[in-house]
Amino acid sequence: MKRTPLQSLLLYGGVILVCALLLFPIYWLFVTAISTLSEIRSLPPSFWPADPQWETFAKVAEERPMLLWLWNSTLVAVGSVALSMSVSVLAGYSLSRFSVKGARPLGLFILTAKMLPATLLVIPLFGIFRSVGLIGSLWSLVLAHSTLIIPFTTWMLKGYFDTIPRELEQAAMVDGCSPLGALFRVVLPVATPGLAATSLYAFVLSWADYAYARTFLINAQNSWTANLGITTMKGEYVTDWNEISAAAVFVALPILAIYLFLERYLVGGLTAGAEK
Amino acid sequence: MAGISIQNVHKNYGALNVLKEFSLEIADGEFIVLVGPSGCGKSTMLKILAGLEPASGGRIRIGDREVTDLAPGDRDIAMVFQNYALYPHLTVAQNIGFGLKMRSTPKTEIEQRVLAAAKMLGVEHLLDRRPKQLSGGQRQRVALGRAIVREPSAFLMDEPLSNLDAKLRVHTRAEISALHKRIGVTTVYVTHDQIEAMTMANRVVIMRDGVIQQIADPDTLFNKPANLFVAGFIGSPGMNFMRANAEAGMISLFGQRVPVPAAPPGDVIVGIRPEHLALGAGKASFTVKPTLVEGLGSEKYVYFDPGEHALADSLRDEQRGKGLIARLAHVGPVAEGEDLTFSFDPAELHLFDAMTEKAIN
Repeated sequence: MKRTPLQSLLLYGGVILVCALLLFPIYWLFVTAISTLSEIRSLPPSFWPADPQWETFAKVAEERPMLLWLWNSTLVAVGSVALSMSVSVLAGYSLSRFSVKGARPLGLFILTAKMLPATLLVIPLFGIFRSVGLIGSLWSLVLAHSTLIIPFTTWMLKGYFDTIPRELEQAAMVDGCSPLGALFRVVLPVATPGLAATSLYAFVLSWADYAYARTFLINAQNSWTANLGITTMKGEYVTDWNEISAAAVFVALPILAIYLFLERYLVGGLTAGAEK
Repeated sequence: MAGISIQNVHKNYGALNVLKEFSLEIADGEFIVLVGPSGCGKSTMLKILAGLEPASGGRIRIGDREVTDLAPGDRDIAMVFQNYALYPHLTVAQNIGFGLKMRSTPKTEIEQRVLAAAKMLGVEHLLDRRPKQLSGGQRQRVALGRAIVREPSAFLMDEPLSNLDAKLRVHTRAEISALHKRIGVTTVYVTHDQIEAMTMANRVVIMRDGVIQQIADPDTLFNKPANLFVAGFIGSPGMNFMRANAEAGMISLFGQRVPVPAAPPGDVIVGIRPEHLALGAGKASFTVKPTLVEGLGSEKYVYFDPGEHALADSLRDEQRGKGLIARLAHVGPVAEGEDLTFSFDPAELHLFDAMTEKAIN
């Protein structure tokens, strides 16, 4: 059906409005990073600084342990993705393929962990990690993040595995694969878009965490993740918002890069199953 | 190549018994077709044979090896699936050679055998493509290539033609038959299409509700069906059935006294194939008023009411209703509602016990 000019105007106007709403915080973060402190505080605010302070980025990189923080965040996020994907691939596949008595209620029970707010789980997790000596270790974050990620990614992957015909594994088994061999040689390569989408979800959730890092790592300065490190940049009397914003840009860049890299898989992964 | 022996195989899902005491001896090189309506247990039997489903009981031998408890990959069989089940992330060559790779066959040998199989099926120009770049017919050939390249003891085929359009199905059907004649591997083929069964099989196994109804060659199935189900299942349109009463070797049919020496006294079901009803007077004749006439070009299907011979509801084919059909080849105009005389040869009648539904010989 062909759209009238008015419909087109409303449609594109709506799209531009939504995009502007979504992109404005990112734009404002960037503008704040390259503005002077007086420009940041000026009213009305300026939407582009008169003299962009590009050196703020270099200053943050040199004066703050930004690289260490980013490295710690990367270790935690990669570790969380590796652990949660290892568990949820097998769990999701089992829920999708094997009809064992009680499997479905158990699968749904796993999801209840996702229904609880993360802050509610912080206290019991703190108790557990303290008793096993993990407080201050990046492992505490890897384990804590995995408890949040696994329930959701298990069901996300189960939904994806449901869309892959069983005959593919059966053909692989007739061709000589073991059931696990069929999973790794045939099902997982076919499930790449689903794996990419769930891995990205897991990475972002871990990368964006602040509450757990603040609770488990606050007294271990060398283990601070980027989000925790940035909050320590706020001074008691003076806060350099441009430096904090520059640091935040550094933190956002890896996520942006991963999104761009995985984008081609992501769309397929999130929409898979809609066709069947 | 090897024969297959299936002894007393059955399959239960809890209290549900989907396959009951299935026994079949398949000779080396034979082409066996399992056929029956949906849910009759034919695909379950094939999966048990492949090792993809465990049997609840019974034994299976392929050649001189007991394979009942072996994994699918250890049974030396190859399977062609209804949806082809080609690995989408691999090229055609990798798909065909996958089974050889799993058996640690040297790379050069894999390449040679893949090329030979591809040439046999005419897909050698597609070896670098992915399955999504192939048409339905090409995918089917690749699936066949994946099966033949391993030179297995037996081929198992699960409705391999049902995803093809009608024209391609006829073509591929002939190709599979020719391939079987050429390489002579024992083949077990599952279908719900009686035409595939009749045209391809050395022997056909007709199943219903998990029970074998008859095992026979296509001609025997058509001419000497073992029971009412087989008689109705084989043939298109299916056999006409009528209720009648036998007395002293005679039945009354449309007002005619017809000799049926084999019939015991009492209620019987009489069957006659639509193509055995001829237009005009003959050995036994009757006149009806057609309720519907379907022209198919070279032939006509003439429907008419069985009157007092209508079967009880429980015995009726739901799709067919209670009408009878005559299949008339090369006839002139036939009008609905006007008197039409049919004749038949009493020797062409089939008789079935009204209680057991078994054929009366």
